[in-house]
Amino acid sequence: MQWAILSGIEGNLAAYEAVLQDIRRQHSSVTALYVLGDVIGLKGDNEAVIQRLRSRRNGELEPQVCRGWWEEQCFSLYGLTGLPKAPELMAQFGSDGVKHLWESVSRESVHWLRSLHFGFHELDCLLIHGSTVSYRDELTPDTPAIQLCDRLIRADANTLFCGRSGLAFACWITPYQLRSTVTTLDATQSPIEYGKTPRRIAGVGNVGRTSGKAGYALYRPGTNSIQFKTVTYGAVRDFAVTER
Amino acid sequence: MKLAVMSCIHGNYEALNAVLSDIDAQKADQIYCLGDLVGYGPHPNAVVEMIRSLDIPTCQGCWDEDIVEGLNACECSYPSQLAEKRGHLAHEWTNRAIHPEVREYLASLPMTLRQDNLCFVHGSPNSQHEYLLPSMDGFTALERVLSTEADVLFCGHTHVPYVRDLANGCLQVRVLHPDGVEREHQFSTPLKRIINVGSVGEPRHGRPNATYVLYDTDTAQVVLREVSYDYERTCADIIAKGLPLIFAWRLARGLEFAERADDPSHICQR
Repeated sequence: MQWAILSGIEGNLAAYEAVLQDIRRQHSSVTALYVLGDVIGLKGDNEAVIQRLRSRRNGELEPQVCRGWWEEQCFSLYGLTGLPKAPELMAQFGSDGVKHLWESVSRESVHWLRSLHFGFHELDCLLIHGSTVSYRDELTPDTPAIQLCDRLIRADANTLFCGRSGLAFACWITPYQLRSTVTTLDATQSPIEYGKTPRRIAGVGNVGRTSGKAGYALYRPGTNSIQFKTVTYGAVRDFAVTER
Repeated sequence: MKLAVMSCIHGNYEALNAVLSDIDAQKADQIYCLGDLVGYGPHPNAVVEMIRSLDIPTCQGCWDEDIVEGLNACECSYPSQLAEKRGHLAHEWTNRAIHPEVREYLASLPMTLRQDNLCFVHGSPNSQHEYLLPSMDGFTALERVLSTEADVLFCGHTHVPYVRDLANGCLQVRVLHPDGVEREHQFSTPLKRIINVGSVGEPRHGRPNATYVLYDTDTAQVVLREVSYDYERTCADIIAKGLPLIFAWRLARGLEFAERADDPSHICQR
């Protein structure tokens, strides 16, 4: 069993095709394909990417797609969820960004995006764009350790795959010591020692943001190993692999 | 400096008066209130007027927020469906009863208050609706305190007082980057503390007495105070005002009378 996990196509169809091609080339076949949100963005052809995700070709895996930050901005623009008029998008990309996103995704596509899940629980993993706290939750290796620990506990997972930061990393957290003592009106309870086995947060990189270079991750549940892949596409082709 | 910290008065003027008298007797230097001035109880306007007249620093509770914003929280606002149904009835009554200036005051309340290494919130630093129960995972509880950058986090919302000491917290982090770089570091914390101050006006610890907390900032000593008062008078007023009878019943017993929510730490997606 091997999963391909990616995030942040951001409308870049060429980058997504390059990743699909790389997936086909794997010696061990990929058995599931997860797309952790941000399939749309400002730079590429959003409609083309959405149509590609919806129209699987012969022999291809059906992509399991969840929502990301860009999809949520789209819903906000259409008044479907959250605050109206996409204030987050407006603050980051101004009125030009708002206009472009509005014009680059059809109403029908917005409804398809709305049908996507918030994340996926598979085996002992959670696959999600940000975290269970929010789609905008950006986890990186520099996020405070206790916050990473909290996100893993909330996720109720041994590995949390996320895509919000666009970074590729694996971060093992071992919360190994804590003594909790509770006193109520009636008694002081015996102290409880908390200690947990190591758990992991993995950033799966970004497919479409950097032109010519797409990143994604391969995960083997059997061995619990993650392989970070960088696919170069366009004029010069090169393939880089790092296993973690 | 001796602090008195109270929460969840819920329109119970009798209980508030009794607690204020006890605070006087204990010679506290400063009072803080962690919100939920209104809701459930029969005297929301009188309670707010009292808090304002004494100039007590107060943060906004979930009930205060709901009265201002309207009932738009998801199911996490209540520990059960039964509680939610009763809560809606109380919300409608309170919404009709409160004066415009009271609503304005509730709207002006901050989410958090700070004093040196102390932080004051209603539910949790994340939301007025999150329950910091004493059974919450220790590391999750520690994260809530650390997120405030305080040493002591005062909260209410559960209506059951407790002190939770979180000692010797230690985490190990190992980061692996695709370029092969690995780094490892350890993170440890000194003693952190959550102090839930219980409820003045709608206690749920199994007795009808009002609860609040005294905290000495010099010695870090905590005293959970339990104050008896004429709760039957409040019960009679609840019935006289036409509020659901069950509110009087449970006030007289100090019980919630509802099953617990599946996930009380769930973050409201309002």
